Amino acid sequence: MVFVINIVSSSTLTFTLFLSHSLSLQAICFLKKKKKKITMNEGAIGGDLLLNYTDMSVLERQRAHLKYLNPSFDSPLAGFFADSSMINGGEMDGYLATAGLNLPMIYGETTVEGDPRMSIPLETTLGTGNFRKRKFDTVTKDCNEKKKKMNREEVTEGEEEEKSKITELNNGSPKSIKKMKNKAKKEENNCSNDSSKVTKELEKTDYIHVRARRGQATDSHSIAERVRREKISERMKFLQDLVPGCDKFTGKAGMLDEIINYVQSLQRQIEFLSMKLAVVNPRPDFDMDDIFAKEVVSTPMTVVPSPEMVHSGYSHEMVNSGYSNEMVNSGYVHFNPMQQVDTSSDPLSCFNNNGQAPSMWDSDVQNLYGSLGV
Amino acid sequence: MERQIINKKKRVFSLEPNKNPSAVFTRKYTSHLVPALKKLNMNKNSSKQTVKHEVDMALALSAQEFAWSRFLLQKLSSSTNPTTTTSSSDGIRILERSDKEGGNKEGEIEEKLRELQKLLPGGEEMNVEEMLSEIGNYIKCLELQTIALKSIVQDST
Repeated sequence: MVFVINIVSSSTLTFTLFLSHSLSLQAICFLKKKKKKITMNEGAIGGDLLLNYTDMSVLERQRAHLKYLNPSFDSPLAGFFADSSMINGGEMDGYLATAGLNLPMIYGETTVEGDPRMSIPLETTLGTGNFRKRKFDTVTKDCNEKKKKMNREEVTEGEEEEKSKITELNNGSPKSIKKMKNKAKKEENNCSNDSSKVTKELEKTDYIHVRARRGQATDSHSIAERVRREKISERMKFLQDLVPGCDKFTGKAGMLDEIINYVQSLQRQIEFLSMKLAVVNPRPDFDMDDIFAKEVVSTPMTVVPSPEMVHSGYSHEMVNSGYSNEMVNSGYVHFNPMQQVDTSSDPLSCFNNNGQAPSMWDSDVQNLYGSLGV
Repeated sequence: MERQIINKKKRVFSLEPNKNPSAVFTRKYTSHLVPALKKLNMNKNSSKQTVKHEVDMALALSAQEFAWSRFLLQKLSSSTNPTTTTSSSDGIRILERSDKEGGNKEGEIEEKLRELQKLLPGGEEMNVEEMLSEIGNYIKCLELQTIALKSIVQDST
């Protein structure tokens, strides 16, 4: 049985290698970029990165091997091989399925049509975070692929599970592992490379392929449901970090309650503040940069009797604040009060045109209220 | 006014623009809101609703990259009296209703998700997954907005 697998697998190996080679050379840089992007976005665990590196080395080895075997290649040839790999593929995969190797695979955006084994362990090792990315890229689901998928389905959930499967893989035949990783690379290259002829003609279908885990329902609906649930729980975790006081709750309902309360309280706060703002309008000399200063400094602004004092008060705040983004050199700030005191009368002049300035410059808060009532 | 601008140029700034997204948002928000408020103040007809309108408009304009901001802009432009925030009484009522439901856990969660959708502008048009991620950045923007508003109010009093 094992020998049969190996024989069949070796034949398909060459086919898949040709295919991968045609694309890998073009797409290898895409692959690297994509990996980096994904790791940056999703924060892959170190162990996952290691897996990626081993994949790369496998791929490079195979590329070297291919170069030796076939120095020139063309994409039509690869296309032909792609088709033929499909013929053998189903067969081979059937063997693997019976052998009990459950490979974590998620199919990516552009996949070889008719080759359902195209997979991306790379993606899966980075966890369910990629579900979001995949969903973004792949919108529609292809029914044909689903039917093929029904035979062997898996859903990848946690990195731990994937790691355990990887160890399973390692325990299995090394050739098949190589092949699987190869296919993974090929899939990755397919996804990232849009320019090759093969992917162009096979780009029609955008879909997410998932595999059911061992011992779980292989119904496509339940799998889709599970994927959806994972996405939702992942987002809930993110929200949990965002909303203060949410970590006490472990259940969805409690957390949702907390989030709802928080959003409502924020909105109410904003309403209240805007009402307050309607009553107390900003002074014309209001400087937006002071908001940033205020964020750091907790000293409240006191009502000042004269505009000049106001200006010096502002600059004082800047001196006191540690907001380094706004200040290059605190010593420089000392010059500000003098300059501002000189020009403090100018805002008055510009507002004199409107005829409202004198009322607005009342330092007394009651006068401000009074002027607004006018 | 020109002297004021010259004033600002003489102030101390860091040489590099602050790329921190919360700072970018706050800066955009205040740059939208404060001139609008000044204009309102000059027109003398600053009712509470128009201020709220300006506040929401500033929020929507400062967070253009999110889906909810587009919905918010739509709402604001279509109506003169926008009610972008559900009143607190509505929220409490809906929560009480869900408590009365009792045993149906899935139903409760669904109910709460729907409630959350109502809070988010345009949330009802999104599916649940999108809504959850949009809620995340909506919350962040609301927090920054409250900080900015607080400092504006504090500054004026």
